[in-house]
Amino acid sequence: MTTQEVSAVFTPLRKNWWLWVKENLFNSWYNSLLTVVLGTGIVYALLAALRSLFGFDYTILRVNLTLLMVGQFPRDMLWRPWLSGYLLVAAVALAAGLLKAQAQSKAEQAGLPFTKTRPGDVLRRGWPVLVLVVILLSLTQTITPTLLTVGLLAMGIAAYFLGRVIPARGRRLAWVGVVLLVLGGYLALAAFGGRGWSQWGGLHLNVFLTIAGIAFAFPLGLLLALGRRSSLPAIRTMSVTYIELVRGVPLITILLFAYLAIGFLLPENLKPSPITRILIAITLFEAAYIAEVVRGGLQALPKGQVEAGQSLGLPAWKTTRLIVLPQALRHTIPPMVGQFIALYKDTTLIQILGVLDLLNVSFIINTQPQFLGQGLFILTMSFAALIFWVGSYTMSREARRLEKKLGVGER
Amino acid sequence: MRFKKLIAVIAVLSMALVACTETSGSTTTQAGGGGGSTLAAIQARGTLNCGVNNAVPGFGFVDADGNYSGFDIDFCKALAAAVFGDATKVTYVPLTAQQRFTALQGREIDVLIRNTTFTATRDGSLASTFATTTFYDGQGMMVRTGEFDTIDDMADTTICVLSGTTTEVNLAIRMTGITHTAQTYENNDQLQAAFIAGTCDGWTSDKSQLAAQRSAYPESSGGPAALEILEETFSKEPLGPAVLDGDSQWAQIVNWVVLATIAAEELGVNQGNVGSFGESTNNAIRRLLGLDITTDAGTAPFDPGLGLPTDFARKVVEAVGNYGEIYDRHVGPNTPLGVPRGLNNLWTNGGLLYSPPYS
Amino acid sequence: MAALTTDGLSARPPFWRSLKFIRWSIQLVAVGLSVAIVFYLWNNLIRNMRASGISTDFSFLTQALGVNIAGSDISPGAPIWRGLLVGIKNTFALVIVGVPLLTVLGVLIGIGKLSTNWLVAKICAVYVELFRNLPPLLLVYFMFNAVILQFPAVENSWDLGFVLINQRFVAFVGFVGQPGIGMYWLVMGVTLLIAIWVWIWRTRRWEQTGEPHRRVAWSMALLGAVALLAFLILGGPIALSIPAIDGRVATGGYQGLAQYFGVLIALSMYTASHVAEITRGSILAVAKGQTEAANALALKPTQRLRHIVLPQAMRIAIPPVISQYLNFTKNTSLALAIGYAEITRITFQTIGNGHPAPQMIALLMASYLVFSLTISVLVNILNRRLQYASR
Repeated sequence: MTTQEVSAVFTPLRKNWWLWVKENLFNSWYNSLLTVVLGTGIVYALLAALRSLFGFDYTILRVNLTLLMVGQFPRDMLWRPWLSGYLLVAAVALAAGLLKAQAQSKAEQAGLPFTKTRPGDVLRRGWPVLVLVVILLSLTQTITPTLLTVGLLAMGIAAYFLGRVIPARGRRLAWVGVVLLVLGGYLALAAFGGRGWSQWGGLHLNVFLTIAGIAFAFPLGLLLALGRRSSLPAIRTMSVTYIELVRGVPLITILLFAYLAIGFLLPENLKPSPITRILIAITLFEAAYIAEVVRGGLQALPKGQVEAGQSLGLPAWKTTRLIVLPQALRHTIPPMVGQFIALYKDTTLIQILGVLDLLNVSFIINTQPQFLGQGLFILTMSFAALIFWVGSYTMSREARRLEKKLGVGER
Repeated sequence: MRFKKLIAVIAVLSMALVACTETSGSTTTQAGGGGGSTLAAIQARGTLNCGVNNAVPGFGFVDADGNYSGFDIDFCKALAAAVFGDATKVTYVPLTAQQRFTALQGREIDVLIRNTTFTATRDGSLASTFATTTFYDGQGMMVRTGEFDTIDDMADTTICVLSGTTTEVNLAIRMTGITHTAQTYENNDQLQAAFIAGTCDGWTSDKSQLAAQRSAYPESSGGPAALEILEETFSKEPLGPAVLDGDSQWAQIVNWVVLATIAAEELGVNQGNVGSFGESTNNAIRRLLGLDITTDAGTAPFDPGLGLPTDFARKVVEAVGNYGEIYDRHVGPNTPLGVPRGLNNLWTNGGLLYSPPYS
Repeated sequence: MAALTTDGLSARPPFWRSLKFIRWSIQLVAVGLSVAIVFYLWNNLIRNMRASGISTDFSFLTQALGVNIAGSDISPGAPIWRGLLVGIKNTFALVIVGVPLLTVLGVLIGIGKLSTNWLVAKICAVYVELFRNLPPLLLVYFMFNAVILQFPAVENSWDLGFVLINQRFVAFVGFVGQPGIGMYWLVMGVTLLIAIWVWIWRTRRWEQTGEPHRRVAWSMALLGAVALLAFLILGGPIALSIPAIDGRVATGGYQGLAQYFGVLIALSMYTASHVAEITRGSILAVAKGQTEAANALALKPTQRLRHIVLPQAMRIAIPPVISQYLNFTKNTSLALAIGYAEITRITFQTIGNGHPAPQMIALLMASYLVFSLTISVLVNILNRRLQYASR
């Protein structure tokens, strides 16, 4: 050991910033070189980014913010998306509170330590979302959206703590409440003179297609996964063929098929709307991927579990339903979130079909007369990129946390 | 366990409910069978499915409130006004160049009004029927001022063009023997961004489109004067509405709605004065507007038997105005596009617009 | 399971309770149902297409394409199937260059994330989080609009001597054969065979005697020496072709469209962010004892990485990396967004010019299936070889 390395061992005790810099940035000649070169590059890039950030005229985003968020949803019905947002946030917050409460009771029963979520943790984990919300609100033209957002936050927090304090006996009823809230979120948009998904657009459409795509594809994917592991050769072959065919082609070809050719496959009096056709395509596509995720979960299950079921004399379907699936599906939660994120990003492909999703709106607003030829393409595109990035990044971080947590609990 | 079942039941019920609201709210229901029932299907549905563009300046774009606007869009509105007496009963179906004819053939739209060029092949093999041209355009080439005098000078150039259009095919024919790179883009906004960045020596499109882009060229890059549209028009581009083959009644309706806007301009009927002809003695106007006409047979509005209400032209003019007004609102000299009437003027003013007699 | 139904039962159960019957009937029903659905859809397809007056066969493939394809010699009169072949070739061009590129980039960044230099590790982490959380389509658009289009115009190309860069194309230095080139290739071919033999010989010797093999130095020295000698003797059979701007085009060298590089770089960077995570995970998954053993042998950090950690990490990484290669291949379809003429783009173009969509989409899907299956077969063979070598 050289003297340098000896001193390095003791640095944590001294907490000397200079030593930290020396150890982490200049610990060898090539690292020093790298640090200097990269440091200069970063400072330069940040300065350039800041300069262009302030050089832009944000009017195009300000004027079109509603279009970017909810597409062509009638402007006199904007209370519907807001109400829907309130109900969905309530559902998510309530569910989070309930999960936390359940985890706490479990930990207490097992006598394990339980860490409460502190407000600081929420801030650390959710900062990209908060930054995005602030940016969005800074682009609004009236005070109403800000007030509504504050209300939304307050209600979310309230729902979370409601979920935390509900006694164990009432929790199941509360889960029913969560499902009803989600349903209410949809009805607030579509029912009683509202607009169905055929007329949705903007970010709203991307989010909807992601959630609905996974929700509709899950049952189909589950069947395909079970089919792939079935002992019946014909069913196995059909499942494998479907899964491999779909996974072998890009989503855009399936979307194109749904958009241009599905009309020919259906009887004459059945004409699904473009969004419905896209939803069909996404469902068919996503089912094959979910099947593989579920198969991973099934494979992770020790063989003894199935044999134990058989030795109890349970029929095959009961073994699957009562023993295999409940355990296997737990394993699939983290990869399922990954699939969710992938689909969220893939929903941008409908831009190529001319559907007015967030990405496409960010393009077409450049053809409005007052913004025509202003060269704002990069600005509007970056705005869409920011929104996609924040959503995807936050979800992937939460997924990793979940993975760690489930992994620790399981083994 | 019971609660799990309850949740499952609620989930299934909610899905069913979602499906129900969706079908009732669904707008793209069948667009009529092959045997002449398009009008009946539209009336039963309560809304007109109009295939449009959503990214062409002046012709079809989406404004900040999410409303479609433009020259082509006004003809969708005119059709809805004629059929329902209500210009708002339109469902706009945005289509890309690739999708438009498939959508028409698949009966997903009743009429295609998406700056579509009337050609024999499209009329013949793409199962479509074109109505009266709404806009006489021609394909041109826009370049930076002073770089080229004619298209024949444009050897070794990169020319940008929209994919899946007649424009692309015409370019290939025009540039026979001239080495060039045809850079095709899927959407108008991307093409526009590429041109502003300077990666195209030339941009070929309908001249009205080029004019729109030229007039909006940013001052920081030299303004409109930095660009010029070459003199040569190397193809005829008559843009008009198209319907599916096989329903002549519906084709006639679309045709006469367009013609009515032209006839209204010929007769001096406009959005402002359309209500003031009650006492007019001009029978041509009285016929067009569906006012009572006294003949030997009695007093009744004129009905040519198109299957439309007798006062359809009045509703059209009330909703969108006559042809000249539609033109001036979206593409005329006082708009960002600033395209002079030229061929799109009345035949009496040296243009090509000519409405057969409405009698 | 069959034993359960027969053993010790006096009366045979009715035939519909027999396992064999149940298994057969379930399969028959499932197959019958699928066939019926497919038949029904197929029937609808043919009837609806006929009703709309669309041709239901593939004869349209011999009709004229009608347009030019940038970066190819296809003329408007060429048949559609030739256009499709150009599309397949262009997709292939993306894959063949993209896969090595993204692998190198991904592995470097994955290792960088574990660097002892805090700044390097952070930058690599930011890279991964930035790129893998953006939609690839947006990245393609962004790369083209915010990077490629910001390059100088043709007239002001960046001239780096051997490379020319502008917003329309990138031109690299190329080689042009002079008289005597045939002889030169022949000599070099023979030398290459000898060099391979030398490599094997050195390896054998090393295995037998334990003296350092230096096989790279030996074979490279042989190749280099012969290449130089033959070059001089044959009087310079190869000349460099340095790209130069001539008006609006470049002469000499190899040229690639800017769109090609836009898609290539955007998708490589996107996929590399996934490969980086796989690399990092695989390195961490190599047992800690292996690293400690290497330290105990007093190997230098580079030696440790090269000889101990990476070979083991590679075996862990190969299956997930294959699936990233497949994703990359499928993502090349996004090139159509900025107008690079790969197979999806040609298909869109052809459909847009009025040719039947169902057949074109079927051809498109079939092409991707061939691509995907070929890659998975190839890499599976490679994988098997590597795995066997390790055990």
